[in-house]
Amino acid sequence: MKDPTIRAAIGGEPPAKPQFYVAQSPGREAWRMFVRNRTAVFGLVLLVIILALTLYGSLIYGGDAFDIVWAPHERPLATPEFPMGTDYLGRDIVAGMLKGGGPTMAVGAAAALITMVIGITLGALSGYYGGWVDNLLMRFTEFFQVLPALLFAMVLVTLFSPSLWTIAFAIGVVSWPQTARLTRAEFLKIKELEYVTAARAIGAKNKRIIWKVILPNAAPPLIVSATLTIGVAILFEAGLSFLGLGDPNVMSWGLMIGANRDYILDAWWPVTFPGLAIFLTVLAVSLIGDGLNDAFNPKLRER
Amino acid sequence: MTFSFILRRIGYGLLLMLGVVVLNFLLIRLAPGDPAVVIAGEMGGATQEMLDQIRADYGLDKPVLVQLGIYITNIAQFDLGESFFFNQPVAKLIGQRIGPTILLVITAQILSILIGVFLGVIAARKPNGVLSGFVSIFATIGYAVPVFWTGIMLVILFASVLPIFPVEGMQSVRLRDAGPLTKTLDVLHHLVLPAFTLAIIYLAQYARLSRASMMDVLGSDYIRTARAKGASEKSVLFKHALRNAALPILTVAGLQFGNLISGALLVETVFNWPGMGRLAFDSILRRDYPTVLGVLFFAASMVVVANILTDLSYRWADPRLRGRS
Amino acid sequence: MSIFVRLMGAAAIATASMAATPVFAEGGTLVIASNQVPRHLNGGVQSGIATAVPSTQIFASPLRYDENWEPQPYLAESWETAADGLSVTLNLVKNATFHDGKPITSEDVAFSIMTIKENHPFKSMFAPVEAIETPDAHTAVIKLSQPHPALLLALSPALAPIMPKHIYDDGQDIKSHPANSAPVGSGPFKLSEFTPGEAVVMKKNPNFFIEGRPKLDEIIVRIIKDPSAVLIAMENGEADIYPFMAGSQEIKRLEKVDSLVITDQGYAAVGPLNWLAFNTKSEKLSDVRVRQAIAYATDREFITKALHRGVSTPQRGPIIESSPFFDDTIEPYDVDLDKANALMAEAGFADGMDLTIDFIPGPKEQQQSLAEYLKSQLKKIGINVTVRAAPDFPTWAGRISSYDFELTMDVVFNWGDPVIGVHRTYLSSNIVPGVIWSNTQQYSNARVDELLTQAAVELDQAKRKELYSEFQQIVAQDLPIYWINATPYHTAYSTKIKNPPVGIWGTMHPMDMVEIDN
Repeated sequence: MKDPTIRAAIGGEPPAKPQFYVAQSPGREAWRMFVRNRTAVFGLVLLVIILALTLYGSLIYGGDAFDIVWAPHERPLATPEFPMGTDYLGRDIVAGMLKGGGPTMAVGAAAALITMVIGITLGALSGYYGGWVDNLLMRFTEFFQVLPALLFAMVLVTLFSPSLWTIAFAIGVVSWPQTARLTRAEFLKIKELEYVTAARAIGAKNKRIIWKVILPNAAPPLIVSATLTIGVAILFEAGLSFLGLGDPNVMSWGLMIGANRDYILDAWWPVTFPGLAIFLTVLAVSLIGDGLNDAFNPKLRER
Repeated sequence: MTFSFILRRIGYGLLLMLGVVVLNFLLIRLAPGDPAVVIAGEMGGATQEMLDQIRADYGLDKPVLVQLGIYITNIAQFDLGESFFFNQPVAKLIGQRIGPTILLVITAQILSILIGVFLGVIAARKPNGVLSGFVSIFATIGYAVPVFWTGIMLVILFASVLPIFPVEGMQSVRLRDAGPLTKTLDVLHHLVLPAFTLAIIYLAQYARLSRASMMDVLGSDYIRTARAKGASEKSVLFKHALRNAALPILTVAGLQFGNLISGALLVETVFNWPGMGRLAFDSILRRDYPTVLGVLFFAASMVVVANILTDLSYRWADPRLRGRS
Repeated sequence: MSIFVRLMGAAAIATASMAATPVFAEGGTLVIASNQVPRHLNGGVQSGIATAVPSTQIFASPLRYDENWEPQPYLAESWETAADGLSVTLNLVKNATFHDGKPITSEDVAFSIMTIKENHPFKSMFAPVEAIETPDAHTAVIKLSQPHPALLLALSPALAPIMPKHIYDDGQDIKSHPANSAPVGSGPFKLSEFTPGEAVVMKKNPNFFIEGRPKLDEIIVRIIKDPSAVLIAMENGEADIYPFMAGSQEIKRLEKVDSLVITDQGYAAVGPLNWLAFNTKSEKLSDVRVRQAIAYATDREFITKALHRGVSTPQRGPIIESSPFFDDTIEPYDVDLDKANALMAEAGFADGMDLTIDFIPGPKEQQQSLAEYLKSQLKKIGINVTVRAAPDFPTWAGRISSYDFELTMDVVFNWGDPVIGVHRTYLSSNIVPGVIWSNTQQYSNARVDELLTQAAVELDQAKRKELYSEFQQIVAQDLPIYWINATPYHTAYSTKIKNPPVGIWGTMHPMDMVEIDN
């Protein structure tokens, strides 16, 4: 119960344990559960390492991942300066790995952001107001859900010329229905709880109720969903780049895989290393998501 | 589950399809780029008169809404137009590709459900055991690996390094005139790697889902009663528990169908599988808009049908819901 | 091929051969691996190698060519050119029939050539054809508005397929006619199956008008877009022949396979030039000295020996070096960075400039590699190059044909006679916005226009050569294009093949003499 106004209105005493009410700040409680979960911490550490390397690569590491620096298809460890070898043009794979992470994750994060914004907004409105609003919005959501995601995203990206922005936008547009559904379900559940009906009884405005009461309590599953969405978005971006629909003028891991795919019989490393990078990033993100999920739902965790 | 419910559901599905068609058609027509220039480029060059003739031939000179109207009327008669690139009816092109895609998708779906559920059920028996841990790890990994990367690695490993499986395609070109048994075996031989690649992602999900679901059910009174009555462990697991745990699995399977089609696209590209996904991809790159529209329409209708079926089977499976309309 | 499939295949063959026909010395199936997708199978209204390979098996043409560029009888058993060069008479064979049994007459020839003239993208092939008279069923007289020395080459199988008038002349637009995907031709092979994007299956034409041919029972074109998959297919015998192979790694890899022969023969008539094109109307590139500076900065030897590992050959003019019209005295622009820098300074760009370079998406070694190479090389003369990659062919083609570019890599074929494939790039009359592979450099030189127009009608071979020489000298100075190398097309074929298709047209020629030892 975060809002002092409402607490005061009810009579000052916090009610005895309604379902999602925690005595301490829910964030801190969840954090304590989180750090006890070894795989979750592993995921967090992994992600921090990857982010650090990416930042280093994007901001500090010199040169351009597109520069041709050596003979093509140099094997890993064959030359000390290029421990991961070179690709089909003679570009340094290490540079590609360090500099490719930024765009890959930026697109993933941006797409996830778009997904969350659209999804939460529509889901919240739908779940809270119900009635014809709900009906209309749900039809709209279903409409986007029947479109095969990758296909439609490809069409969008090709029509409007591939760039980091169009890709993030396209991924966001095809991914929001799931978030909307989840938000709606949460809102439907929480809407019926005591403190919400109480808030309405004292005349709190709808907007306030949505923002200050329901949303914070719906936050846990939404945060988990957001983390998982980032993972999905990264895989999605990698897929698009692999197919050749990535931004061809920005180095990303998916682009490295797609560009070097033709030569895989003679050079496996330009495809394998970026693939591993994508895998580790998505793994880290999903481990964190799982950890958060378990942390927010301690009862379920005991199973 | 009355007749009127089914009818309403179908009617609503049709409305959805109409919306899909309109949206995609307008999107494609209003985007930058001139299809006539593309067609001329595919021909190998042209002159100004030829460009104009191309526009007239393909109806590109009419106003957009008129083109939309024509397109919708045609779709109602099952005419999906003609491919810009191949000059053949889109319906025919899709018809040639639908079989391979369905084969791939259904095989992958079955594989992933069977293996996944099996793993999950076994893991549910001992929630803290080794297998359960393995299932968790496998589930997380399977989810995080990019499917096209897995596919490429599998091709290199099992078609080049160890030449056990064919490197691409659905049939050996030389066995085209062979007998039906040979051809079937040949197709199955080609099917292994792609189906398995596609199945891996969802396998992990089903393993996890069925484990959670089974654990839920195994703790219930119903199961304790069955055990007390002396039912064998195998019977408890597979006859009693699984049936009740099936519902969420079924739901997810239905919802996943749309994702399966997207995954199939990537797998078809990696393995040169002659399916709809590859047709769509190639057509998008060639700006062959009628084909792209046709595939989008077709894929969306498959998802709508799958949703309706899932909905219906859901209500059928759960007797609590049957009463409602 | 895996043991599994071999067993299955053996079982199938055993069963089949028990069925009936005795096994002749002839016969067998030839599998061609291709990574191009044909739109349809009628080479008369569609240019490009993807269509030409199957089209030349299904359709016959008036003439065919041997390895020495000499025209040979095909549907025309003899031909005469009038003294004034304004008409060419074709005397057709009497016994040729289409695959549906109907005889081939001069009506079909007349219809076909006029159709190609109207619909094929290469306008210059039959532009001077005014009419074709058909005095009797087996004589066709082509009437020309001016002498047209390129005509005989234009009657090759790849460029002049004879189509059945009784099928095509029904009022539908030929370019999108359904018969293009289910063609009835007169060539050594009939179409059995065409699965768009997958395969073209052609079976022996038992009523082919040349006795004893074709030797093969079946030709299958198998379309595989993934280069690695093609290589594996060739290595394990799933495919027998792989033409138009241009990647140095592919070539080097297949050269090591004992069961395969690699040759660079078979592409003389194609004349594929890989070049750097300039947008001559861009203010940065309108000064010829800048273009020459870029030419002097580029090291062709490095490109062909290092980037292409020695499999490609340098080229230095609009006409390919193997053509009889090539003039080897033109300025080669051998690499000279000092000269390049001096020219840049002269033109007023001593501080350098920024340029973007485009390239065709597709074979990376020929296009993208060179763009990247130029990026690092041109830095040395002060030019800051940004490589602009296009996601697909239509995007690139759209940009170039609307002149939205500064530099671009491109590959354009000569197609045998300069009239067919060379003129289109340099004639100012061919500056057509929206059309790719026209004069997209917007180059205009009145003397060049004159020379090309004259050379198109000059029947005297020696005089023609002179005209083309002067043409080459001028464009080598004006440099609307800087020619770099010939696309190193090679063919890999199985040792089981006899009489492999390595003539001037390669696989774009009827393969009725090819045999395979299946």
